[in-house]
Amino acid sequence: MTAAFVFDAMLCLLLVGTAVSAVAGRDLFASIAFFVTYGILIGLAWLRLGAVDVALAEAAIGAGLTGVLLIGAWSMLQRRCGDGGNDPAMPVLPKLAAAAVSVTVTGMLALAVLALPVGAPGLVPLVTENLSESGVGNPVTAVLLNFRAYDTLMESIVLLIALVAVWALTPKELWGGVPGLRQHARPDGVLATFGRLLPPLGLVVAVYVVWAGSEMPGGAFQAGTILAAVWLLVVMAGIAEEPRMSSRLLRLALVVGPAVFLGVGLVGAAFGSFLGLPVDFAKALILAIEFALTFSIAVTLALLVAGTPREGT
Amino acid sequence: MTSFLYLAGLILLLTVAASLIRIHIGPTRAERMMSAQLIGTSGVGTVLLLAGAEGNGAMIDVALVLALLAAFAAVAFVKASSPDGAGDPEEDDR
Repeated sequence: MTAAFVFDAMLCLLLVGTAVSAVAGRDLFASIAFFVTYGILIGLAWLRLGAVDVALAEAAIGAGLTGVLLIGAWSMLQRRCGDGGNDPAMPVLPKLAAAAVSVTVTGMLALAVLALPVGAPGLVPLVTENLSESGVGNPVTAVLLNFRAYDTLMESIVLLIALVAVWALTPKELWGGVPGLRQHARPDGVLATFGRLLPPLGLVVAVYVVWAGSEMPGGAFQAGTILAAVWLLVVMAGIAEEPRMSSRLLRLALVVGPAVFLGVGLVGAAFGSFLGLPVDFAKALILAIEFALTFSIAVTLALLVAGTPREGT
Repeated sequence: MTSFLYLAGLILLLTVAASLIRIHIGPTRAERMMSAQLIGTSGVGTVLLLAGAEGNGAMIDVALVLALLAAFAAVAFVKASSPDGAGDPEEDDR
């Protein structure tokens, strides 16, 4: 037990140190490296807290997407302002405003955590009691896709709205173009080989993670993130291009997940309650929703990272 | 046995701490990136040790996902280091 305590203490120390370094560092690239590291350490912390589902999401988002997104943004900043992407002319007022918002959010979160009843079991007994009626064996999936399905439905729509917001930044003359930079690589080089080797493995792991989600940690969000990361690798290796923003097939892929979810919910409404799943079909319906959601989440996340269309197409 | 696994995990965390120092001093970006990658590797190892210590097989999946995706930041870094931000440093070696 003591060894576990020392481990936890060391982990907390590293977490706080990494977080402070990421925020307080003067070099932007070092901050990004610290932040990527922070994601890995947070994943370890979730494991120690027994939240394997969250750790899985953190591993996929923190290791897969955040690094690519932040380094891409840094690269663009560096090209626009020079000086390693560090902007010395950043006015004090926006910095203070950002700090104030962060401190407020952190304070509210701290208050919410402190307001939780200590030692009370929360909703755990209620979930355990009704788990057999949810159609799945993983309590987290049961809550996300059955007991509190409307939260997940709204989250999937929020993701879509985020993409609409990014697309709204597109200049008028570029509307409908191919998102992101025109990527190229040496055809027989390391990058192109990596881009051919890893995606099949990623595809298998993603399908496994959705499937496993019904009985053990896993699920649509984690698997969608893996797929998005793998697709971004294919694009970065210059093997395939992002689809045009105007593509109907792409638009369909974006909405199929939330649409299937909403459709199942409406059918449920016709038979009694909105988003209520009948016990006999619950597992099949949950898996159908999860696979459709995985697909849409993957496409949405990949396009969120790709950003607005490139110039000159 | 469990204590031993936590202690082994602690040693891996110490290597993470050493890598963090390297991220801090740098001085080149490649050094910072490689340290972050090294921490990814240590992270996979630590997750596996935790899976063993807590006897939770599902944790191995976290290690799998981490191992699969940890190299992606390095790919983005390599792309960012090319002249137009979208290329591949190897293209110049022909």
